[in-house]
Amino acid sequence: MRAAHVAALARRSTLAIVRQPALVFPSIVFPLFFAALSNSSFGRATRLPGFPEVSSFLQFSLAGTVTQGVLFGSVTGAAALATDIQDGFFDRLLASPTSRTGILLGRLAGGALFGAVQAAVFVAVLWPFGAEVRAGLPGFVVLVLAGMLVAYAVGALMSSVALRTGSAEAVQGSFPLLFILLFLSSAFFPRETMSGVYRTIADLNPVSHMVEGQRALAVDGWSLSAAARALLVPAALGAVGTALALATLRRRLRAS
Amino acid sequence: MARHRGGPRLSSSPIVAEGLVRHFGDVKAVDGIDLEVRAGEIFGFLGPNGAGKSTAVRMLTTLLRPTSGTARVAGHDVVREADAVRRSIGVALQDAAIDPLMTGRELLALQAVLYGIPRAESRGRTEELLERVGLTAAADRRVGTYSGGMRRRLDLALSLIHRPTVLFLDEPTTGLDPMSRVALWEEVRRLNREGTTVMLTTQYLEEADQLADRVAIIDHGRIVRLGTPAELKAGVREPSLMVTVPSAQQDAARGVLARFGDLRPGAEGRLGVGLRGGASAVTDVVRARDEAGVRLQHLELHEPSLDDVFADATGHRLEGA
Repeated sequence: MRAAHVAALARRSTLAIVRQPALVFPSIVFPLFFAALSNSSFGRATRLPGFPEVSSFLQFSLAGTVTQGVLFGSVTGAAALATDIQDGFFDRLLASPTSRTGILLGRLAGGALFGAVQAAVFVAVLWPFGAEVRAGLPGFVVLVLAGMLVAYAVGALMSSVALRTGSAEAVQGSFPLLFILLFLSSAFFPRETMSGVYRTIADLNPVSHMVEGQRALAVDGWSLSAAARALLVPAALGAVGTALALATLRRRLRAS
Repeated sequence: MARHRGGPRLSSSPIVAEGLVRHFGDVKAVDGIDLEVRAGEIFGFLGPNGAGKSTAVRMLTTLLRPTSGTARVAGHDVVREADAVRRSIGVALQDAAIDPLMTGRELLALQAVLYGIPRAESRGRTEELLERVGLTAAADRRVGTYSGGMRRRLDLALSLIHRPTVLFLDEPTTGLDPMSRVALWEEVRRLNREGTTVMLTTQYLEEADQLADRVAIIDHGRIVRLGTPAELKAGVREPSLMVTVPSAQQDAARGVLARFGDLRPGAEGRLGVGLRGGASAVTDVVRARDEAGVRLQHLELHEPSLDDVFADATGHRLEGA
């Protein structure tokens, strides 16, 4: 019963994505544009001391591009949840005998699916331009799964904001925080090239470890430990995010 | 208004509320409501915006927890057995939007899943409901393209997917044109004839008068009158005389009118009085104002309406307020 609820609600959030191409287009195109731009700007950075052996900056930054793009996309889902709360569709769901957890998971499942699609598109489009994934098909699959998990995790964390505030603007407004987290990680430059506080933050930032796992698959080839880093970090963030979102949902329902 | 004290009563009535209270901070949105809606009736909650109608309905439909008091709907406690209540009731809320990106048919299919209706049954039920509310032709269009009346009809169809025995309609016709309104009334009557108990909230006197078997007038979070429309109107025996006088003569006019009955609030700057002597006292009023030198610009005589009942109970008017 609960699985059917989640599936039906996931289908609804997927429909919302498919039917608003204008809303989704930027989260596919901008990361690709940014990847092309940084490749031409930072192409020679690969010769810096401390930079790993890579075939191109594009290959190096593929993991960062995937993560950045998925971050973009996953805010859409959380903002849609806030809109549901604002315009009352959420009440419609709450008035039905749907499990409360199912309402949230349905929304997150739709976002996760979109994250997987995004990751697949990014890798498929950038591969011919030098962003080769040396781990081959298994590496591709891990990158797609990682995209899915990142979308899920970020969706869950942002859903807490949506459930707490019931405001799509608040969700959009907290989005830059995610970008700061991304840029204070090793998403676009190796930690070896950093120093001082910046290095310390990047060392502690879970995004660094996730991106480095993905990157190792692209740059170095297949290894189980790289795949595990690429998947376990977002999975752990997803678990924390889910717990937080469910707690926020329960508080919201208790207060109502 | 009947007040029930003491422990919880056993009642087979589909909606029973006892001492229902809901505060938002310092605001007492619902300030102690007792009511019992009988099986098979259409019960109307009549009151102006902000009177507490929607808050009361949100508590009865499990969307809001009472600050205090209890309510049982379809035999289940709205707090402790919320899921059982949800399975038994249909809810169409005025301010609950319908996803504009989905089609009518998709929304009905989603609703069927959420209410646990088997797939085999869901398709037939969807077609039946689309037919019933006259949306078969528009079923595959996105809701964003629907008119206000079509959305309300879809909303009604959505609330009926699981054949609820109790139906809550929150301001079902607010903002609708007169024809759509009458069509919706007809549908509500038909559902009621088929055995559905209906609780509706409205700010329209005519809607309560036309549709409801019994009406509760609610103001400032309390039920101030409860009965059939006929009973309520019979409680206000005197017809109302409404007059318009120049603003400089308002006080003088009030003095004259007060000799013939209790002053009543009038809409749009008019003065009103409940004529103690019945309709025939109008001639006496006209003669008395001659003597007082008050100029009458306009004069109207009304048989008691629900608006008079409302004014009598609350001291202000619902219409033209």
